[in-house]
Amino acid sequence: MNEDKGNQGQAWIRNQVMAQGLCTGCAACVGLCPYQKFYRDQTAVIHECDRTWGRCSAYCPRGQVDLGGLRTILFEPRDITPELGAVKGLYMTRSTDPEIRDRAQHGGTVSTLVALTLKEGFIHKAVLAERKNNQVSESVAISDPDAVASFAGSKFSVAPTVAKFNEISQGEPSKIGVVATPCQALALARMRAYPQPGDEERMKNLALVIGLFCGWALSFRELRRLIKEKAGADRIQGMDIPPSQHKIMELHTEKGLIEIPMEEVQTCIRESCRYCYDLTCEFSDLSVGSARSPEGWAVDRGWNQVLVRTDKGQALLDLARSRGILEFKAVPPENLDRLKAASLGKKNTCMIQLEEVSGRKEDLIYTRREAILCQ
Amino acid sequence: MSIVSTGAKGQTALLMGNDAIARGALEAGVRVVAGYPGTPSSEIIQTLADVASNHGLYVEWSANEKVGLEVAAAGSFAQLRSLAVMKQVGVNVASDFLLHLSEYGTRAGLVLVTCEDPGGLSSTNEGDSRHYAKMMEFPLIEPGNFQEAKDMAAWGFELSEKVHNVVMFRSVTRMSHASGNVVLGEISPGPSKARFQFDGDMMDQMGGPVVTFPGMVDPMHRRQLEKLEMARKIFETSPFNTYTGPNQPDLLVITSSAASLYAREAIDLLHVAERVGLLKLGTTWPLPPKLLAKHLKTSEKTLIIEEGMPFLEDNIKALWTELGPEAGTKQFFGRKDGPLPPTDELNPDLVARALAEILGLPAPTADQAYMGRAAELAKTHAPFRAMTFCPGCPHRASYWLLNSALKQDNRRGFVCGDIGCYTLGVIGCGFNTLKTSHAMGSGTGLASGFGKLNRFGFDQPVMAVCGDSTFFHAAMPALVNAIHNRADMTLVLVDNSGTAMTGFQPHPGSSSDASGGELPSVDIARICEAMGAEVAIADPFEMERAEKTILDLLDKEDGVRVLILRQACALSPGKKGKRLFEMAVDENACLAEECGCNRLCTRIFGCPGLIWDPEAKKTRIDEVICVGCGVCASICPTGAISKKEVAS
Ligand SMILES: Cc1cc2nc3c(=O)[nH]c(=O)nc-3n(C[C@@H](O)[C@H](O)[C@H](O)COP(=O)(O)OP(=O)(O)OC[C@H]3O[C@@H](n4cnc5c(N)ncnc54)[C@H](O)[C@@H]3O)c2cc1C
Ligand code: SF4
Ligand code: SF4
Repeated sequence: MNEDKGNQGQAWIRNQVMAQGLCTGCAACVGLCPYQKFYRDQTAVIHECDRTWGRCSAYCPRGQVDLGGLRTILFEPRDITPELGAVKGLYMTRSTDPEIRDRAQHGGTVSTLVALTLKEGFIHKAVLAERKNNQVSESVAISDPDAVASFAGSKFSVAPTVAKFNEISQGEPSKIGVVATPCQALALARMRAYPQPGDEERMKNLALVIGLFCGWALSFRELRRLIKEKAGADRIQGMDIPPSQHKIMELHTEKGLIEIPMEEVQTCIRESCRYCYDLTCEFSDLSVGSARSPEGWAVDRGWNQVLVRTDKGQALLDLARSRGILEFKAVPPENLDRLKAASLGKKNTCMIQLEEVSGRKEDLIYTRREAILCQ
Repeated sequence: MSIVSTGAKGQTALLMGNDAIARGALEAGVRVVAGYPGTPSSEIIQTLADVASNHGLYVEWSANEKVGLEVAAAGSFAQLRSLAVMKQVGVNVASDFLLHLSEYGTRAGLVLVTCEDPGGLSSTNEGDSRHYAKMMEFPLIEPGNFQEAKDMAAWGFELSEKVHNVVMFRSVTRMSHASGNVVLGEISPGPSKARFQFDGDMMDQMGGPVVTFPGMVDPMHRRQLEKLEMARKIFETSPFNTYTGPNQPDLLVITSSAASLYAREAIDLLHVAERVGLLKLGTTWPLPPKLLAKHLKTSEKTLIIEEGMPFLEDNIKALWTELGPEAGTKQFFGRKDGPLPPTDELNPDLVARALAEILGLPAPTADQAYMGRAAELAKTHAPFRAMTFCPGCPHRASYWLLNSALKQDNRRGFVCGDIGCYTLGVIGCGFNTLKTSHAMGSGTGLASGFGKLNRFGFDQPVMAVCGDSTFFHAAMPALVNAIHNRADMTLVLVDNSGTAMTGFQPHPGSSSDASGGELPSVDIARICEAMGAEVAIADPFEMERAEKTILDLLDKEDGVRVLILRQACALSPGKKGKRLFEMAVDENACLAEECGCNRLCTRIFGCPGLIWDPEAKKTRIDEVICVGCGVCASICPTGAISKKEVAS
């Protein structure tokens, strides 16, 4: 039932996760008990819980995670690569529906796949993220395939995805699919691989995890500070980080467009993202990110790269191809290595940061060095 | 109707000290009574309010002690004997007026009763107001038993009229709240016609305008000192200063107030009446020098036993040095020089040990069998009571919400508090939400200050709490300050519809007077709005909505927000004994210690109406204690606690 013997319940969350700045805001510890709550883009401990074992630290992606054990349970060992976790294949795709592409972050692959699984009845509910005014994100559970597109697009502040899953998985049994960032997917993986007593039934509801590549998320408060600095009291109508060479964030205000250089936006990155080893969402059935090709950004921005990790993920992608709702194009041969290099880059930064906060070389708070490197 | 009002002259009555004081005032023909509630003083005004119509008095609970003293002073200026009542901290509030009042003086007798709380049994400090009498130069009297409590209260008015100044009458908890036999005197009807004379010149104390004025300061101050001198003379022969004991005692004890009762008891206990002389002072400022010199000379050792700070001790030593060589060598003992403790309330045991030490006797030992039996009885007969909010107390719900909102907000926000039941927000029953607590209204003032520190990189959200009575008492100026200076803060008014902590006295927001008559109530929300604050009102028992309101207010960036959390005190007359809901716990749904709950209700929420059954390992409702407010149903994560409306 438990991959970590030393689960210390909420004390771990408080002392090793939150106090160290490691909390991702995945909200896996929210909604299972009254002690933690999620507000805006942060998880907070409201009251102290003195249990020495708990689901909070059992599922927390920054609990004592046995990444190796999880990989063996959830993936086929022969698929596992040191840089990207399990890989069955790398694809370049986009939705064939221009309307979805128009609303989507890139090629609309995620929205297309979610709508498909709902339509086919593989899942009955999908957990997606919704942008609220004020730069905060909310998690929603939807069952109407036609509604999926209205939740397309990336939200750069963290949504309480896993709390939403906790909530609906405790209700009527139904198949649930979740679109998750890497930290959220890791929490869901811990739940799937090692459901804690009382949670076995509800975990049967988790049918699919579609992962998002993720370099970092932004802190709501920092972002609000930056926006106030740039836009003053002007009303914000929209916000976007369009993929391009000149890295900027676009702020659409009632008085017009404001461009914020990426270096400034990066001052708003959540502290916890520095301690995250996972760029490509290794613990998903398939994961989706932006594309890169010799054709250049203007073209690439409308495409996705997809890493298939499980048979389920493969079957879903194949079905979408056969239905003609996803368009595929050849992946440039160097892309896999470039992705591996990018992924390794994040792992290395993470390990350096964790060494710094823990003062140790191997035992890096929530995991071990060799586990990050899939060894 | 109480014996305080009906008891006939010559009758012996068992009276609580505060009732004896009230009776003394009635016997003196008091007409105007005002003050602010505070333990251990509150019964005096309430007792007089209850008989106000029978005796034709005007009695009010004032907005604060300064106003209370001003209202009483107006009575004095208009030729009516008047009484102001407060606890020790209240004298500080009244002190600004008191300085001016005592400089000019009074007309009809004006007595300021201060009931003090050595050891802080129901206070947050051990303030000793006697120093005001010295600092502001007016007479101070302290009764040493219950008869004196009545007699000296009555005499205080006479004294005030003789010296034309305010007289401070100081009591302490064990004098105010203990009871003893009192032989009653005649209740005087007092004058019924009030009239304020102002036609004389400025120095005409009985007929001119009552003003303190630049240019008049020196003559007025001189006149004030003459009054003090007159008091000193009167005190030399006062019957309230008594001596018992041998002519040449081994040890002279000088004492006052309740401490004199301990001294007598200790002398009896040690059987040293032959060796110890006891000078009990009823007039403690100004000290009567001749009387003291006479007694000081009789013994080389002097022990001063008093409740509070070493007030007598310091002043008697000063007097002794003024006496010069004729006073001889002396060894002083007391709170400052030991062996009495420098702080905390005294008791007969402490005093007996001090006496024994000085006299070289073995320390008195308690009867072990008796002590054992007392401890045993305490265990079986006195139920354990944790320091917590009452069952159904709205403050528990309010702090639950404030804590939850501040934690979610996650910027290390905090709440500044002050004095009231809600001071318990400092400890676990209030989820440790209060991070400062000082004088009444100080939470709001501190929040006003914290709310201006953003230019120094301060980014923690700042809240203050104050009660409805405290709002009128002292928070209003602080709130005005915060609004005017654009402090970034939220004031949470925990409005439980009355001055709950001291026994539910009305305040300006209430619609009744001290005697239960109707009065217009002053609307807190409209005041705050008129001051310029953004005002929200929520019911702490409607938890979800109230929490959202708090979170939204925390989000506002500048200016002052006021949130009124309105729900009457569980002990309020309107609520007491009336259950809204029948509560029940579904044992099967109760997760108890399991992950997912871990006894949130009994371990954290902590309402005494919920009990943890360690055998069954389940929560139960304590039917006797639960008042049926229904709040715990909304905190239970599994819905195991249910509420069913009680048919009215
Ligand atoms: C915070 C963040 C950082 C990212 N960083 C990178 C990166 O560095 N490199 C890279 O290649 N790709 C990154 N991505 C992935 C991003 O490129 C696209 O989400 C992905 O390519 C899918 O594109 P799409 O057009 O298929 O998505 P869409 O069809 O628009 O669908 C996106 C789906 O993701 C859900 N979603 C959006 N935001 C969140 C969120 N915060 N939490 C949970 N679900 C959400 C939406 O509800 C929607 O269902 C990031 C995404 C996010 C949210
Ligand atoms: S109840 Fe369980 S999940 Fe909640 S804080 Fe305690 S141990 Fe963690
Ligand atoms: S990382 Fe997720 S599970 Fe861990 S403490 Fe933060 S929100 Fe809770």
